[in-house]
Amino acid sequence: MSARDEILGRVRQGIGKADFAVRRAAAVAALNSPMRGPQPSMKADLVARFRAKAEYLSNTVAAVPGLDKAPAAVAAYLAASGLSGEAVATADVASLAWASAGLQVEARPAVDADKTGISSCFCAIAETGTLMLLSGPDSPATVSLLPETHIALLEVSRIVATMEDAFALLRAERGSLPRAVNFISGPSRTGDIEQTIVLGAHGPCRVHLILIGELS
Amino acid sequence: MALGKHSQAMHFQARAGEKIRNPVLQAALQKARPLFVGKRVKGIASLAEDALDFEQLRTAAKNIRNRTLADLDVWLDIFEARATASGAEVLWARDGAEVSRLVVDIARRHGVTKVAKSKSMLSEEAHLNEALAEAGIRPVETDLGEYIVQLAGETPSHIIAPAVHKTIAEVEALFAKEHGRPLETRTSADIPAMAREARAVLRQHFLSAEMGISGANFLIAETGSAALVTNEGNGRMVTTLPKIHVVITGIEKIVPTLEDLATLMRLLPRSATGQSISNYVSLLTGTKRKGDQDGPEKTVFILVDNGRANLLGSDYQDMLRCIRCGACMNHCPVYFSLGGHAYGWVYPGPMGSVLTPLYTGLENALDLPHASTGCNQCGSVCPVAIPLPDLMHRLREEQHERGLRPWSERLALKAWAWIAGKPALYRWLARRVVRYLNWLADGSGRIRILGLAPAWTAGRDLPVSSSRTFHELYSARKKP
Ligand code: SF4
Repeated sequence: MSARDEILGRVRQGIGKADFAVRRAAAVAALNSPMRGPQPSMKADLVARFRAKAEYLSNTVAAVPGLDKAPAAVAAYLAASGLSGEAVATADVASLAWASAGLQVEARPAVDADKTGISSCFCAIAETGTLMLLSGPDSPATVSLLPETHIALLEVSRIVATMEDAFALLRAERGSLPRAVNFISGPSRTGDIEQTIVLGAHGPCRVHLILIGELS
Repeated sequence: MALGKHSQAMHFQARAGEKIRNPVLQAALQKARPLFVGKRVKGIASLAEDALDFEQLRTAAKNIRNRTLADLDVWLDIFEARATASGAEVLWARDGAEVSRLVVDIARRHGVTKVAKSKSMLSEEAHLNEALAEAGIRPVETDLGEYIVQLAGETPSHIIAPAVHKTIAEVEALFAKEHGRPLETRTSADIPAMAREARAVLRQHFLSAEMGISGANFLIAETGSAALVTNEGNGRMVTTLPKIHVVITGIEKIVPTLEDLATLMRLLPRSATGQSISNYVSLLTGTKRKGDQDGPEKTVFILVDNGRANLLGSDYQDMLRCIRCGACMNHCPVYFSLGGHAYGWVYPGPMGSVLTPLYTGLENALDLPHASTGCNQCGSVCPVAIPLPDLMHRLREEQHERGLRPWSERLALKAWAWIAGKPALYRWLARRVVRYLNWLADGSGRIRILGLAPAWTAGRDLPVSSSRTFHELYSARKKP
């Protein structure tokens, strides 16, 4: 007997139910109307909530009124942090006027030598201050992973309340999941040496957010 | 099950004494304990900010896990179908040995020489690193704690803080040796520099490994995805850079929907580290898509039984709800007296005291169900409300039912039952015993070595009871 059949046989014996086909059909039907667990009740201003939580998670945050102002804000951050003006970016933000802000930005997946990665976000979650990024041809996952500094551009209209809301948006706009959905909540960290928290484990050491749009 | 040969759980008592007398270990544990407890308290308290209630949430979490287990065959079948449809391959393993065989086989077929591993407790169950090394393939643990433990040639002593038993001086010695540099004197101010050093070394391994191995915190049936939760980002690295990604996980790790994942994610990080969310939660579905410029070309799920299916429908089914948060060990007085290695197998603390006998055989872990003070701190913090003390109690009962306790203990209990049924004899004997105990204590009120049960007093003193028996005291009371 194959390992699969043997294991599933043991499982079936343990749960003691027959009628596999009926139960499977019921389960598939249940998947079509997923139920939420207890939901948080939050104040209406999701942008303020998101920002406060993101800062608590050790992100730094700047805000600009429109996407066209993002390159200057990125340049200002890099200069203030003493970082170079060279960066790798996801293709979906590469068409911004980076050069006129004095930056050399290349649209491609990141490599080890890249110091700064600039990415878009699919959306963000106010409850925890979390970014949601999707992998894809125009948004390689390495850009938010390999460089020491990750700069994320986030339209404030894309801030939703909860992870459940983020999944609802994903289902509505994409239908299916990309290879990788990455929820990012601040710079990478470790506490593995004597429980002392250090920022910058394997992923970025710094995450800077540029909020784009009218702030309430 | 080919586990017994590696389990050291039978030596719990001997190890316990050794651990209690190890000052370096004791210092590390005493430092960690208040941190773990304090962080969780803060994390759980933060739920109130949004009018969320821990008890209500954990009931929801428990229901999700129970609902899944009640139709586990169905959810596994749906997961397999959807994971396959998204381009992943799904394999099944009856036990640890089969896991190792499958992984080594995949590695050989693809000419893999190095594997970068994100934390997977199941690969510890399978002793996968040994199997890979025997096949000439180098496994590199990339979670910083796991890396430290691997350099030391040890196993993790905690499921979420694998190197909690190591002091900074011990880590420094390991790094100096492995990284080929002189030994330095380190203080806690140097910890960031040490983490950076490990980052640079491990980065090269991420880039050069042909295979990445991870566990999965959850499998999502709805989408056929693995959910991976890490703080360091190594989980993202091993699932993004190498050309092959292998996920090794237990068959019980399924949840039906993304909504269920969201509910569990409100509890898992808070229970583990006190964080409201971990730094990275990744949902991995299938392989590199058309047009994608990064990601693995091949993704394989290995769904492992290794004793899990046997718990379904048994007195121990509740244990399968476990989401591996570590809160039970973080709140266990026994764990913090001994550290994780005393438990002798992969899982320490209360969850280990239940799982080790169940997965490796009750007869191979006789002491573990007794490694409890009955305080139920573990049961009260468990985010999926597993009644851990009850399960340990049930295991103790089963030991007796199956005649697995030592003959002396069984004989003593039988004799006690016989004597207790004869009041006059009981009173006479009790008077003798009380006098004997007071004689042993020699007026100090404490007995350092108990003649008939020396093991019991190896790590503690027995306070002496009153010099009169309960019956004597009771009779004296009745006559004012
Ligand atoms: S038994 Fe409960 S507290 Fe312990 S690791 Fe599992 S889920 Fe966490």
